[in-house]
Amino acid sequence: MEKSLFKFIWKFSSRHQVFILLVTVISYPITYILLELPKLIVNDAVQGDGFPREVFTFEFDQISYLVLLCMTFLGLVIVSNGLKLYINVFKGRLGERMLRRLRFELFQRVLRFRLPHFRKISSGEIIPMITSEVEDVGGFIGEAFALPAYQGGMLVVQLGFIFMQDPLLGLAAISSYPVQGYIIPKLQRKVVLLSRKRVKNVRLIADKVGESISGVPEIHANDASAWHFADVSDRLYENFKIRYEIFNRKYFIKFINNFMNQLTPFFFYLIGGYLVIEGNLTIGALLAVIAAYKDLAGPWKELLAYYQMTADVSVKYQTVVENFDPADIYPVERLTADDVTSLKGDIVLNNVTFSGGAAGQEVFDLSLTVPEGQNYAVVGPDGSGRSEVLQLAAGLVSPGSGQVSIGGQDLDKLSESTLGREIAYVGGAVHIWTGTIRDNMYYGLRHRPLIEQEREGDELRDYKRRLSEAKETKNPTFDLAADWDDYTAAGVESADTLDRRALEMLAAVNLDADIYRLGLQSRFDPTLDDAFAERILGVRVTLADRIAADPQLAGLVELWDVKTFNASASLSENLFFAVPTDPEITMEQVPDLPEVRTFLKDTGLNSKLQDIGLKIAETMVELFANVSGDSGLLGTYSFITQDDLPEFDRIVRVAKSASQRPGLSDADKSRLVALAFKLVPARHRLGVMDDALRAEICEARKEFHSKVVNKSSAFVAIDPTVYLPPLTIEDNLLFGRARVDRRDARQRIDHVIRSMVAETGLREPIMFAGFDYHVGVSGSRLSASQRRRLALVRGLLKNARITILDDIATGLNEEDRALRATLREILSGRTFLFGTPNAALAEEFVDHIVLDQGRIAKESAE
Amino acid sequence: MSLETEVEALRRVPLFRGIDETKLRLLAFISDRMEYKAGERLCTQGEEGDSAFIILTGQADVKVNTPEGDKTVAQVGEHSIVGEIAILCDVPRTATLIAVGDMDVLTVSKDDFLKLLKEFPDMSLEVMRTLAMRLERTTRDLAAARTGAAA
Repeated sequence: MEKSLFKFIWKFSSRHQVFILLVTVISYPITYILLELPKLIVNDAVQGDGFPREVFTFEFDQISYLVLLCMTFLGLVIVSNGLKLYINVFKGRLGERMLRRLRFELFQRVLRFRLPHFRKISSGEIIPMITSEVEDVGGFIGEAFALPAYQGGMLVVQLGFIFMQDPLLGLAAISSYPVQGYIIPKLQRKVVLLSRKRVKNVRLIADKVGESISGVPEIHANDASAWHFADVSDRLYENFKIRYEIFNRKYFIKFINNFMNQLTPFFFYLIGGYLVIEGNLTIGALLAVIAAYKDLAGPWKELLAYYQMTADVSVKYQTVVENFDPADIYPVERLTADDVTSLKGDIVLNNVTFSGGAAGQEVFDLSLTVPEGQNYAVVGPDGSGRSEVLQLAAGLVSPGSGQVSIGGQDLDKLSESTLGREIAYVGGAVHIWTGTIRDNMYYGLRHRPLIEQEREGDELRDYKRRLSEAKETKNPTFDLAADWDDYTAAGVESADTLDRRALEMLAAVNLDADIYRLGLQSRFDPTLDDAFAERILGVRVTLADRIAADPQLAGLVELWDVKTFNASASLSENLFFAVPTDPEITMEQVPDLPEVRTFLKDTGLNSKLQDIGLKIAETMVELFANVSGDSGLLGTYSFITQDDLPEFDRIVRVAKSASQRPGLSDADKSRLVALAFKLVPARHRLGVMDDALRAEICEARKEFHSKVVNKSSAFVAIDPTVYLPPLTIEDNLLFGRARVDRRDARQRIDHVIRSMVAETGLREPIMFAGFDYHVGVSGSRLSASQRRRLALVRGLLKNARITILDDIATGLNEEDRALRATLREILSGRTFLFGTPNAALAEEFVDHIVLDQGRIAKESAE
Repeated sequence: MSLETEVEALRRVPLFRGIDETKLRLLAFISDRMEYKAGERLCTQGEEGDSAFIILTGQADVKVNTPEGDKTVAQVGEHSIVGEIAILCDVPRTATLIAVGDMDVLTVSKDDFLKLLKEFPDMSLEVMRTLAMRLERTTRDLAAARTGAAA
């Protein structure tokens, strides 16, 4: 990578730089004429004589001559400003393109680092390098050549003028330059060193903050926050110190510069004055020189600012780039090549030595042959070199000496297109990507975009622009929206068969029940798949029929019926008989929705609900007044939390007090309404509901439907013939609520639903809905074991010639044993390398070795 | 039925006789109100017990598993509390309870009952007194049975 910023800029933008310079030079005479014209207009057109004048063989009288000059002036104003606009945009665009190129190059280099290198660097340091630290480079690139050339040119012209007037004065004008030229770089060097220090210190702060975030449970569990406070605060002080030093020096440079600049006129007046008195120089010439010298200050200042900026940006560039150039970086072709060499044959490790940089991560002079198409266990406790051997076999790390080959192909010389497609490796520390289950399962099939996304109109134009920009900045032209799933590699024909195969694999690793449950709990958009929604509605009808026919079941659920009150549902559901379209809206927010607010006010239900809320609050306050906060009773049973209790205590007191002022605020009132909305009468037997109220609520539904649901999209009516997108698939299947006052009603109904789902063949589509479940940041919404099994499915779906598993399903329990048997069956006929710390499992495999301290302790008994 | 009627029923349970009303209201509130149809099981012998039942209306058969099959040993009715042994000490259910007709039952979970006792020590005292009296009666019955058997 280019070590110096200027080399980088010149290499990738020399053409543009020359162009910028040309345009800048062209703009110079225009600016000059623009400054001269007003003088001409005043002196020649307004006050001049001798009209008519002849210009380009045309004759002009005074008025039309004035108009001509003014029009020229106007034209030049437009041209000059237009040119400025154009060149600024051009510079900005160039800067952004170069920045994009630089950032992409840096990211690509991160992926080219060898795995052991990542032990030495942290993401907390790398991220600010790629994002914020190079930011200034972009703004600088447009100015890098044009500014010094232009301002330097100006300076030379002005100096030339002074020298022409009098060489002695010329010397006086530049007399301070050698001093400035000597002192300022010296001072600037210190500043550069300090900025380097500052950049590194900020990186360290970023790293410490990042580490605190990832280790936050540890901090709390050990009461170590004080230590971290001190640590970061210390670094912040360091930062302050460096910054303060930088300020001091920067302003000192400015001081020297200003001082020197104002010292020169001193010589002018002294030497010039002497020359004038002696009669060797006219007074007019002296004044002209002094005026010219004033004009020198502008370019000189610009040049100095440029010099400081260059020093600053260069050091930033270097401090970043030096981190991305480790000696052993992989060649870029290893990542970009797209040809696959078939890895057919035995895995052979030949006198392989490897060191991961610490004890327990070493392999010493190890030779091993894993025959093709056989299952083979590598046994050894953690730190025995087991993981290293498996990573060597997967081509993830390279041996220090010796050779790892498969079918005679040296893995170190192969590209990732071969290694990553021919070998499926699932290590002990799996990573789940933020995204859906589907994204994670098919991750191992997404090597290149395969089927182009069809585009037309604006979309196509936008896409073409994206492509041309990518080419301009040496970014890849891969289309993210294309279909990347490689069906052929997975051994299937289409997306459908791939989904089906994924189901088989999920079942094989016992993840199917989990995915099914996630599917039931997921929401799905019926516009995407009408047929599925129809089938769910079909089950809903059959389920309702079955419930109606079976008195046992009928007692367990309360189905939605627009005419009757549902005691197992909340008051809000009962009142609206609709659900908010946005499932993220919580009960606390419902009373404040504008539609709801107006509706409650218009129907007069507002005060009734407030009364109910008040009664509930009163009861809660009374019941729990003497209960201590840490008993936990309140949390489980009441719909008020312990923290809310004092607040409601206040509301109750205010409401009860005789004086009307200040009374309840609007916020208090909505809190009471929200409390009433949460009431589930069958669970919270507070005696606030009577038949009249129930009837009134059922009556109000109609009005809510006609006034709100039919007019706004904020609510979806509960309708037996319609799929309700805000509810989960499960709630859509059971069109009602399991009764809260019947023992195990939920479980018993679930059981019925499950069997009906199985009967109607809906299990599969529900699991497919589960494929779209979002797993959270790095799979945080899955359990550790789910994450591992999901990664296993990812590996199996690759359908690779060689599968390498490390520390997966190594338990002695029945479940793991069965899983291992299934894995061997799925992978039969292919090479299957299984790493385990558990020696007892070795016998299950056709062959095995035992590792200890990086050496083979026991070859299998063959 | 609302809290008030439940409190009324609780007051008639001997175990809660000496406990003041606000605490009974709290007990009622944190309990789950369950409905059972004839033939449904409240609990099964040998299972782990996690809740006690306070019968508001209806009756249940107490059945014990014997070598000759299930045998009804007693019947419990309104205002009685059953299964409280299971929530005070960790023993499996000693009998099976089956609803005879439709029943209304308050179910108190073990955790909540213990929390309540911890929160209100006089309530624990009351429970202790009742249990001690029951023990005394059982001991007397046992002694009587022994002397009866010896005779």
